Amino acid sequence: MSDQPLQKTKARPVYRNIGMGDLANYRLPIIGVASIVHRITGVALFVGLIVLLPMLHMSLKSEAGFEAFRTIVWGNWIAKIVLLGLLFAIVYHLVAGVRHMIQDANKWLDLAAARGTATAAFVASIVVTALVAWRIMA
Amino acid sequence: MSGKSFTQEWWLQRISAAIIALYVLLLIALLLIYGAPSYSHWQSLFSNNAFKAFTLLALISTFYHGLIGVLHVWPDYVKNAMVSSALNAFSWLAAGGYALYAIYILFFLK
Repeated sequence: MSDQPLQKTKARPVYRNIGMGDLANYRLPIIGVASIVHRITGVALFVGLIVLLPMLHMSLKSEAGFEAFRTIVWGNWIAKIVLLGLLFAIVYHLVAGVRHMIQDANKWLDLAAARGTATAAFVASIVVTALVAWRIMA
Repeated sequence: MSGKSFTQEWWLQRISAAIIALYVLLLIALLLIYGAPSYSHWQSLFSNNAFKAFTLLALISTFYHGLIGVLHVWPDYVKNAMVSSALNAFSWLAAGGYALYAIYILFFLK
């Protein structure tokens, strides 16, 4: 039993369920960022199919359609950003998905490996996205 | 979620992921090696029956994988029963519509 005076004790941390409104008060570690971005890219791709399938349709319909598709994509920076975003989403979702499955097999679960591979997933997908973008624009 | 057992869903999610990953890696490799295709190259790639079949398999896997994914994601954020069933219905419709559209693009164009 300690006799420390009560007024000297620090405010105790409060643990509770947090809602959306509390999110700004928490710093999300890179492992958490990797997880939520995997989720966001997944949903974005499912929704993005509504753009990707018509693009495939247009590119295969006729030579005129193919050229029109190229004009839309390369002549318009909004289309370019959307397309590059979807390309990043595909690559990141794949890389992070492979990492996730390796973790299903009980590997890369310690803090250092989980952090390192989360960072590596971002670096690798940005590099691959940039390489593909550079290759198709050249 | 989709009426299947969770174990079955877990496996199907990973099998579909592997199929999609192979297809995406093939496309990325082709783009990195050959750069942006011309119309004639693009057209002849998609008139190859093996590639067509692989495309269909990869697209159907994508729609299934995405449907299972979003059906698991929505309930984490949407608690209202009506909004929730509307989202689920839209997701099923989207996946079904995508599948019909993909079959049309691959096999019934012109």
